[in-house]
Amino acid sequence: MPEADNHPVINSLELVGHSTIKLIEEAGYCFTLLFESLFWILVGPFIKRPVRISSIFSQMMTMGVAACPIVFVLSFSIGVMLAIQMIYNLRTFGAESQVVVGVAFSVTREFGPLITGILIAGRTGSSLAAKIGTMQVNQEIDALRVMGINPVRYLVAPTLFAMIVMLPVLTFFSDLAGLLGGAIYTNIEIGLSFDAYLDRTLTALAVADVMQGIFKSIIFALIITLVGVSNGFSVTGGAEGVGKATTRSVVLSISYIVIADMIFTYFLNL
Amino acid sequence: MNIDKVEGADFTVIGLEGDVDLSCSPDARRSILDVLETKKNLLIDLAKVSYIDSSGVASLVEGYQTAKKRTLKFGLVGISDAVMSVLKLARLDKVFPIYDSVAEFEKEDA
Amino acid sequence: MKNNKSAIEVNDLVTHYGPREILHGIDLSINEDEIMIIMGGSGSGKSTLLRYLLGLGTPSSGSINLLGKDITKISNNEMHQLRQNMGVAFQGGALLSSMTVGENVKLPLREHTNLDEKTMEIMARMKLEVVNLGGFEKMMPAELSGGMIKRAALARAIVMDPKLMFFDEPSAGLDPVVSAELDELILELRDAMKMTIVVVTHELESAFKIADRITVLDQGNILMTDTVENIKNSDNERIQSLLNRRPSNDEVQADEYLNRLTGI
Repeated sequence: MPEADNHPVINSLELVGHSTIKLIEEAGYCFTLLFESLFWILVGPFIKRPVRISSIFSQMMTMGVAACPIVFVLSFSIGVMLAIQMIYNLRTFGAESQVVVGVAFSVTREFGPLITGILIAGRTGSSLAAKIGTMQVNQEIDALRVMGINPVRYLVAPTLFAMIVMLPVLTFFSDLAGLLGGAIYTNIEIGLSFDAYLDRTLTALAVADVMQGIFKSIIFALIITLVGVSNGFSVTGGAEGVGKATTRSVVLSISYIVIADMIFTYFLNL
Repeated sequence: MNIDKVEGADFTVIGLEGDVDLSCSPDARRSILDVLETKKNLLIDLAKVSYIDSSGVASLVEGYQTAKKRTLKFGLVGISDAVMSVLKLARLDKVFPIYDSVAEFEKEDA
Repeated sequence: MKNNKSAIEVNDLVTHYGPREILHGIDLSINEDEIMIIMGGSGSGKSTLLRYLLGLGTPSSGSINLLGKDITKISNNEMHQLRQNMGVAFQGGALLSSMTVGENVKLPLREHTNLDEKTMEIMARMKLEVVNLGGFEKMMPAELSGGMIKRAALARAIVMDPKLMFFDEPSAGLDPVVSAELDELILELRDAMKMTIVVVTHELESAFKIADRITVLDQGNILMTDTVENIKNSDNERIQSLLNRRPSNDEVQADEYLNRLTGI
């Protein structure tokens, strides 16, 4: 064998190359899954192979409604935290009352969608990868295919649909919880009444601010579902493989969410 | 599949013909339940059945159960070997009242 | 042989896993109503062959005809139709763990037919009776033993009365009594439902009991396809070592072996 093969620089370059190819491959796979799911959602009902409505609803319950308490707690805490930081900062300028505007913008445009996205990536994205990975290992996916039940239609499409609906809803809920947290702390700290807080928040916020957050949450929904599902489908090697895929899908989803957030925030605020 | 109905004195004979499979067993089921709806005893003639799948057998089972609930007489006649082996597989050969002829069904008291 | 119409026809099937060639040109013909056993040690390619017969992979070359349709060429829609005539009993059962045994058995009916709920209910219960699992439909797969799961999976596989039935290692992990019962059941199914049955196994005893013909696979090639009698009497060394469970002692090619060890 030629000696160049063992050269450390060449080796690490090769490694970079391999990972890049793998990443591109995965992205391609995610897009295939996306288009296939959309196909089943839109065309399925007309060729008598619809996406099951009952499955969509049960997914909405487990990933959406059941996540409400934890979304509330986290978003409320974020709201309080933002109010603390801003009052501290604004005090330097003697402008504590401007805290309302600061909290309103930060929560609706940034923290609401981000915290909800990260939470759901950890909660639902991981369980998706684990569920589909286990099914892959147990040959349940093969079983579905040989029964003539397309796994994307049966498993992915309902999840994607439910996620695209529920994540924006959760994000909006998170916005409200964050604002409530901010209002309560502001009330205690600088004695601003709830009425006045609400009034100023509504004056400050435009529909576009809330929509920006909602729009981002739809992107996050796609990321969480596709990363979770594609990692689940590519599980090999038994229970250990499932564990790896689960961890990997959470780390990747959260990373992609934060990066996507940065990119979209930049472009949406040009 | 063809379904024909012959009305006897106090009973109806439903004759099934051809392949009783997924595509047509719902029709067979409907006719069976319709006859039982009119509170008449029912005999099902399977002599001309070339093939019966489990959806067909399931319709017979449901028919028999419905007849029992309404204390009506129910029976099968003209069981070919092919049909018999399908019934045997699910151990239903011991469950259904099976007759050799229409006359035998008629003679027997409900 | 009862009739010679072939239900499955494989021609010159070559498959790869990554860069490695697994099957090197398989030719196999399985008749209607026939029970064909595919035998071979681990690594012989028998599981791979099954995967391709089930349409779970795209071969590098060759054709696979199931019920007269070449599954390497037909449209998705035709494949979808064909799959309703195929039943598969996977090695580990592969029941969906999120639903009850009854729902699992009913799943193909729900997806492919518009039968009345009552009819589906009765059909599912009948099939569970056939595999001796009457009364278990309300249980979850996790509550069943391995053997019960395999039988429930069989009930699911035959709920649509398929023309082609595939078994992957049906007796693996079963005790001898249950395994013998399963063999009986396979024979009954063929006789009652006129199924063509393909069984992948390395269990000699059950293979000899139920097979019409046996195909012996070795290192991606078919060594022999013949009746039980002829296979038993074959003088092929590899077949005999498989039958007698003797380890195969390949002649060592010194140079090649050295190269393999040193990785050159």
